[in-house]
Amino acid sequence: MYDINRAESAVTQQDIKISAKDVQVYYGDKHAIKDVNVEILDKTVTAFIGPSGCGKSTFLRCINRMNDTIPIARIEGKIALDGEDIYDRRVDPVQLRAKVGMVFQKPNPFPKSIYDNVAYGPRIHGLSRNKAELDEIVEKSLRGAALWNEVKDRLNEPGTGLSGGQQQRLCIARAVATAPEVLLMDEPCSALDPIATGQVEELIDQLRSEYSVVIVTHSMQQAARVSQKTAFFHLGNLVEYGETDDIFTKPQDSRTEAYISGRIG
Amino acid sequence: MPLSWALLASLLLAVAGYLIGRSRAYATAGSDIRNLHSRPTYHGASVALLTLTPAIIVMIVASLLRMAKTLSPEAAGLVGLFALAAAIAGLGWGITRIGAGYQARNVVERIVLGVLIFCSSIAILTTAGIVLSLIFETGHFFQKYNWLGFFFGTEWTPRFQGNSALGILPLLWGTLYISVIALLVAVPIGMFAAIYMSEYASKRVRGIAKPAIEILAGIPTIVYGLFALITVGPMLRDYFAQPLGLGNSGSSVLTAGLVMGIMLIPFVSSLSDDIINAVPQSMRDGALGLGSTPSETIRQVVLPAALPGVVGAVLLAASRAIGETMIVVLGAGAAARLGLNPFEAMTTITVKIVSQLTGDNDFAAPETLVAFALGLTLFVITLGLNIVALYIVRKYREQYE
Repeated sequence: MYDINRAESAVTQQDIKISAKDVQVYYGDKHAIKDVNVEILDKTVTAFIGPSGCGKSTFLRCINRMNDTIPIARIEGKIALDGEDIYDRRVDPVQLRAKVGMVFQKPNPFPKSIYDNVAYGPRIHGLSRNKAELDEIVEKSLRGAALWNEVKDRLNEPGTGLSGGQQQRLCIARAVATAPEVLLMDEPCSALDPIATGQVEELIDQLRSEYSVVIVTHSMQQAARVSQKTAFFHLGNLVEYGETDDIFTKPQDSRTEAYISGRIG
Repeated sequence: MPLSWALLASLLLAVAGYLIGRSRAYATAGSDIRNLHSRPTYHGASVALLTLTPAIIVMIVASLLRMAKTLSPEAAGLVGLFALAAAIAGLGWGITRIGAGYQARNVVERIVLGVLIFCSSIAILTTAGIVLSLIFETGHFFQKYNWLGFFFGTEWTPRFQGNSALGILPLLWGTLYISVIALLVAVPIGMFAAIYMSEYASKRVRGIAKPAIEILAGIPTIVYGLFALITVGPMLRDYFAQPLGLGNSGSSVLTAGLVMGIMLIPFVSSLSDDIINAVPQSMRDGALGLGSTPSETIRQVVLPAALPGVVGAVLLAASRAIGETMIVVLGAGAAARLGLNPFEAMTTITVKIVSQLTGDNDFAAPETLVAFALGLTLFVITLGLNIVALYIVRKYREQYE
């Protein structure tokens, strides 16, 4: 079933979900993102790669306006979700973030039970009318995050008591439960061991059937494994963007080639 | 020889010992300093400490003996000589020990450890001493006054000619009533101020507002008392008590409670602010990233994570409210009364301790000794509160870490 989805998405689901035009980001005096133009497709995993400090996380945080919480950050240009400018004055960042979920580098479960962690989003957005519906959302999200079998008997225990890999999958379940359209992941595996990383990567591949997933990663192997599209950032510029296979086998730019062959970064 | 001179002489000897020890260490080292086990400064310090420690021990033992009345005060000169002799002996012994193989560093470390342990035991022993003296005097009190009458008596009318009613209940009631009002004022205002300052305020506002609130903490409580006496008390009487027909008293429970609450605001807000700031930013990012509003984030994620600390802060504030005296004297008056009307004068345990111990004291009369029983009761209440606070903080910290 999962193979059918993949084939389908490769052929028919090529709608543009997010498009960025001439995006500039400044942190105080620092010009962190320069002239970024990119079109992110629906039902696709897009990887942002590049050396540390190249701006890939900064750009990711622009997509759900998380940079709004940093007082010195300033954004210019246009980012559109389904054709609508997300920096328009009428757009409420709170509503936007419900549509564009985010998973962070370090697992950050809330100090609540596993159940309450997953139910958090549905509760604040009023996605369920009664307890039975909420139970269903929680179970579906935990199954979606491949965590259900491990935690179904201890849903009332604190989420902070899980292992690192389980915590990160809990955070993914929490993001999925909010029913977003886009899922942003900021180095979701950097705090995880290889086994947990494998589980999360498998999960990302499954999420692709329903969401547009954007993942920032330091690991080129990971980008090659999970993504269909790859964008290479360097010193605040989007250097190259294209099919993942092309980026890794026949990069057009000399900087991309230098990075993937390990000479810069 | 007076003790102060002996102490000064020992100090000088210690300085000399340091210099001698260091130069001797250099001398024994010869051309290569690495021949020594410890650096020369450690040799010097070991001689100095070996000079000073015996002298100080002699003086401490002597003063303990004098307190126990086995040593007459006239023997001070002798004690000084003894101390000096001990210092000289220590100096001589320290100097002779210096050599390439002597582990001066370890000796110094051990003496430093000893000093640290000594200081912490002083803190603990003092507490024990305070409690013991309270218990001792309370025992005297209960020999003269029935404990049932003290703990369950509803009347407080001390008469110095005897035949007093010394029931703690009116005082306990006043204490709790005023403290509860103070906490009702301080906790919400302090918490909301802390939330504003840690979550919403810009750096500039925070830089001005936080010190401004903390200035409140530096005001002596007697000044708050004056504020209660000349401003809050009359205001409450003229605008609330009299129009509502609830009383004519300038001093009232509400006055003292309000002003005490104001006193506690910086206490609650500054502790809560630190605790809220300690909640990791990743929690807030997580909640905001799921589309919560700032206030949902605070209510559902930040505050639950900060809760154990906040509860601890509130209970600490409660301990302070229960122990507060000056604001009550000037704000609530000195009438021991059991009543519900917040516009009436009432009084607290601490105020009555002061009034029972000022003036001519007869330490055989229950009217004076009752102060110690009151003090012990207060001590037990605040101790209980602190234990509960610590228990809550520990329990939840384990769960969330």
